[in-house]
Amino acid sequence: MTSATSVIAAPAGRLGLNRRRLATVGAPTGAVVLALLLGAGLIVAAGGDPLSAYSALLDGAFGNPLAFGEVLAQATPLVIIGLGLALAFRGGVWNIGAEGQLFVGALTGGAVAVELPVSSGPVLIAAALVGGIIGGAVWGLIVGVLRARWGVNEVITSLLLTYIGILLFQWAVRQPLRDPAATNGLSGQAMPHAALLPDLPGVSVHIGVLFALVLVPVVAWLMGRTPFGFRLRMLGLNADAAQTAGVPAGRMAIRLMVISGGLAGLAGIVQTLGVSDRLDPNLSVGTGFTAIVVALIGRCNAIGVLLAGLLVATLQAGGQAMSVTESLPYSIVLAIEGVFVVFLLIADRLARR
Amino acid sequence: MDWSAIFGGSGLTVLFSSAILLAMPTALAALGETVAERAGVLNLGLEGMMLSGAMGAFLGAYYTDSPVVGALCGVTVGVLVGALMAFLSVTLKTEQVINGIAIVLFAQGITAFLFEKLFGGSEQPTIPDIPDLKIPLLGDIPGVGKVLFDQNALLYASGVIAVGVWLLLMRTRFGLSIRAVGESPQAADAAAVNVSRIRWRALLICGGMAGLGGTVLVIGNLNLFQPNVTAGRGWVAIALVIFGRWNPLLVFGGTFLFGFTDALQVQVRAVSGGTSTDVPYELFQALPYLITLAVLVIATVFARRSAQPSALGIPFRKEASR
Amino acid sequence: MPDAPLVAMHGIEKRFGPVQALSGVDLDLHAGEIHALLGENGAGKTTLMNILYGLHQPDAGTIAIGGREQALRNPQDAIAAGIGMVHQHFMLVPTLTVAENMVLGERGAPMLRRGELRAVERRLVELGERYGLEVDPRARVWQLSVGEQQRVEILRALFRDARILILDEPTATLTPVETERLFPKLQGLARGGAAVVFITHHLDDVLRWADRITVLRHGEPAGSPTPSETSAEQLARLMVGRDVTLMRVAAGRRSLGEDGGGRRDAAPVLEVHGLCADGDRGTPALEDVAFCVRGGEIVAVAGVEGNGQAELEEVLMGLRRPGAGTIALDGQDITGADPRERLRRGLGLVPSDRYRRGVIRELSVADNLVLDRIDRPPYGTLLRVDRRAIRERARGLVERYSIRVGDPGQPAATLSGGNAQRVVLARMLTGELRCLIAAQPTRGLDVGAIEFVWEQLAAAREAGMAILLISTELDEVMSMADRCCVLYRGRVVATWERDQLDRERVGLAMGGSGPEPMVATAPEGA
Repeated sequence: MTSATSVIAAPAGRLGLNRRRLATVGAPTGAVVLALLLGAGLIVAAGGDPLSAYSALLDGAFGNPLAFGEVLAQATPLVIIGLGLALAFRGGVWNIGAEGQLFVGALTGGAVAVELPVSSGPVLIAAALVGGIIGGAVWGLIVGVLRARWGVNEVITSLLLTYIGILLFQWAVRQPLRDPAATNGLSGQAMPHAALLPDLPGVSVHIGVLFALVLVPVVAWLMGRTPFGFRLRMLGLNADAAQTAGVPAGRMAIRLMVISGGLAGLAGIVQTLGVSDRLDPNLSVGTGFTAIVVALIGRCNAIGVLLAGLLVATLQAGGQAMSVTESLPYSIVLAIEGVFVVFLLIADRLARR
Repeated sequence: MDWSAIFGGSGLTVLFSSAILLAMPTALAALGETVAERAGVLNLGLEGMMLSGAMGAFLGAYYTDSPVVGALCGVTVGVLVGALMAFLSVTLKTEQVINGIAIVLFAQGITAFLFEKLFGGSEQPTIPDIPDLKIPLLGDIPGVGKVLFDQNALLYASGVIAVGVWLLLMRTRFGLSIRAVGESPQAADAAAVNVSRIRWRALLICGGMAGLGGTVLVIGNLNLFQPNVTAGRGWVAIALVIFGRWNPLLVFGGTFLFGFTDALQVQVRAVSGGTSTDVPYELFQALPYLITLAVLVIATVFARRSAQPSALGIPFRKEASR
Repeated sequence: MPDAPLVAMHGIEKRFGPVQALSGVDLDLHAGEIHALLGENGAGKTTLMNILYGLHQPDAGTIAIGGREQALRNPQDAIAAGIGMVHQHFMLVPTLTVAENMVLGERGAPMLRRGELRAVERRLVELGERYGLEVDPRARVWQLSVGEQQRVEILRALFRDARILILDEPTATLTPVETERLFPKLQGLARGGAAVVFITHHLDDVLRWADRITVLRHGEPAGSPTPSETSAEQLARLMVGRDVTLMRVAAGRRSLGEDGGGRRDAAPVLEVHGLCADGDRGTPALEDVAFCVRGGEIVAVAGVEGNGQAELEEVLMGLRRPGAGTIALDGQDITGADPRERLRRGLGLVPSDRYRRGVIRELSVADNLVLDRIDRPPYGTLLRVDRRAIRERARGLVERYSIRVGDPGQPAATLSGGNAQRVVLARMLTGELRCLIAAQPTRGLDVGAIEFVWEQLAAAREAGMAILLISTELDEVMSMADRCCVLYRGRVVATWERDQLDRERVGLAMGGSGPEPMVATAPEGA
């Protein structure tokens, strides 16, 4: 498999700095504009008015503190997972199984929160978070070891493990961690009250959003300022040369899978403790996959991931409001996201010409 | 739980019969992927192609009441998504791994939108089942006859097409070019083979096959469409290509292992009875993925020599330098 | 020369980005002649021939085939015009059979019938017999030796009725014996009415076999001397544009070698015993390889490409797992160590494929100079990379190793081959190494860069470093080696000390044979 990636790698060669900056910022912006235009087309096709739909979307996202809190809440898991994926993608490790790692993290973290005989809130939360990170990390570790040890394609293993992870979660909430109070349907146990993430004062958003905000500079620093980040780039650009120069490719792949898996697990338990308040089979409908979009639109750059996460969360949260007030299908948002990535690839290429 | 309902005499026939039915979508997509990868393009968009094809087939059949029109729509949509992959990977030469992921997300978004737009709020729409076509004489053979020769017409057609793909790859001039282009594009180029054109066509075939796979899943099997109806079959197909060492016959055979576990899981679910049962039917649901994972690992670990096309995943640039 | 030329190229120009590859080049080829196209690496010989074969388009100039001006837009046009090309890196698909390689790209019915392939096979056997180019048409190309693959390439041109045959560096990957056999066959083809043109930088081959010569220098015509009236010295001067000093390093080194007696007793630094490894296709590539390199000596591993050198390089650096055997550095076993551990202990590699393993094109030259030490002070600690230290190091090394780059912040992709190799050498030689593996260190470099690399290796040797030189170039082996072993089909078939080194014997061993049987089968055309 090739390692250098057009979306991630800085352009090589004679391009001037301005040209490079244009490609870095211009291509995603152009793709966003194009995708929104195409989204407008979809809205018309669905029988809506694009202007009022988009204004309803913006209103739904920023119209009041409550709405904006929802944007932040939705951005939180996207940014947390997106940061981990950005690291992995930069190093040429294609972890696309974040969705599964998220569910496994939610399961292990949730199990800790339910089973741990502790009443202190902070201790319980901390233990659950660690449990979630470990669960996701282990799910990633399997992929990493298979790739490092035998060169098994991580794209496929991480994806197959996603299905397995989700089914594991579904079994758990149906059997050992079933909510005894639920009479019909599937519902996992509720989280103990002490373990729920408190809201930030002022906005109606849980403190999990702070994790994302703290992680952004940490990952930015890790990528840009440390030998680890330098090696990551080496591996992503030319794995053969990196190995020859002593970068332990296998160990790095394992580390990257553990980090990105762990962050996905963290996102899973944060969602469980902060949003759904129980082990919920509908905890995520594709958050782990959307985070891939976020990492790619953010060009696998920490600040970029933050911006892309906010953008996508705006679309999602605003889109939900829009779908109600304008009676349009919410899945327009999904379509726009999908179109985004394709346009980004094309725009990126054309900007480099 | 009553295991004999699954493994008892007639149960077993049902099991094998539905195994073939369930394997066919994956098998067709895997064959398409084999063509693409033999041409040197790692097409991770297969899941998206299947999903789009499934939607196309469903809409075609739903609005015209004709499974034939449905099948044509399914294949056509698959080919179109294949063209998108070819445009990104062959013409623009962007990173193939990202292209594939992008195409999956793209297809998931668009199909979810279309489905919600067309059927949102209403009841689950279905299309009529197509009748099984029992082949005279052969269909009367006990056991085997029921399994192999009492299926629907689409399944027979798919079987014929699968053989056709094998012939195309191994016994035609075009197939020779495909294999050359995936192994050594420079050499193929020097031998006056148009590398880009061959890869484009290979991806169109791959898209068409994946679309047909989605079609077979929807028409004559599920008879309905849901968002993400393919449930990872495209990814499984890619794994099975590796397991089958890029050999169309081995790949085709390998998919029936998947089909069997899939059929088993469906039977266990049907027999076990509801969400309150103690039977961990999720384990059986996970079995196809677990088995695929296991064979993928085993195939990779024990491969004595790599059968992977040498140029897999590498864009071809003609006038590189001197 | 009689009548109109078969090929007349006139005023050819070609530019690649900022590089003017060819300007104002003329070339005539006549039926019945062997024409040598001579020049240094980068002189534009291959570009000129790629233009004739339709692989590149000229920016200006005309090409006439058989007196008619023609546009050769792609290889198909060239093939239709009766042109065949044997590339330096063979353009054959290794997983296909010989016959399938012939059919590839040919037009015809969509189905590929068995009967058609059989007919192709018969024709190949027939052509092979007529021109002395026998090869099994059903063999898969990867199973053939390099010499056989070259025969397949020539056969393909004949198969397509080529009257104009281009050979790009035909002797580069051949043993001396195979070379001796090749040219008489080419003469036979020329006598049959073909025009043969071969690219080379080997003066001996030119003087011995060419009917006419064209010399290129920096993409411009530098002269067309008549073989019978010229000399190796004159050709070299035309090629390089000044008197050649290649032998100077060698001579200097040799005298140093004879003075310095200390290395005889030096302790072994790199010891290899019973090393076995498989190639990419799972077939054995190295079998029971053993040698030892002492401090302050250069041990050469000579051999024709494809006899296990690539695998040896990888196994020694820990990039490929050996099937059996041990590797020890300074008496300590490192067989299971990863590249990082080997580097730490003082084993370094100048890789044969410098763009794949040596430099990272997208990173700056400065970054490329610290690839192996980014986590070591002063360049980096666990948590911080010191950009200033990296820049300072780059400034110093760019000067010391005369790396020609505008600014060390520029990406390595902008470097020429010689300068990229200087970057690799600079990184390796400042690494406090005990032992350096230099794999094909001068491949594709021009004379100036070759000199530089040899000087650096010689200096490192004088400083006490153990150097393993893996090389296909006989000249390089002869002038650099203190000891030489020959790798043939994955085995060490011969070893000589410097004072017993004999050019001819090394050459013969590279072909896998001792002197006696080879003399018996010496080619009749010699």
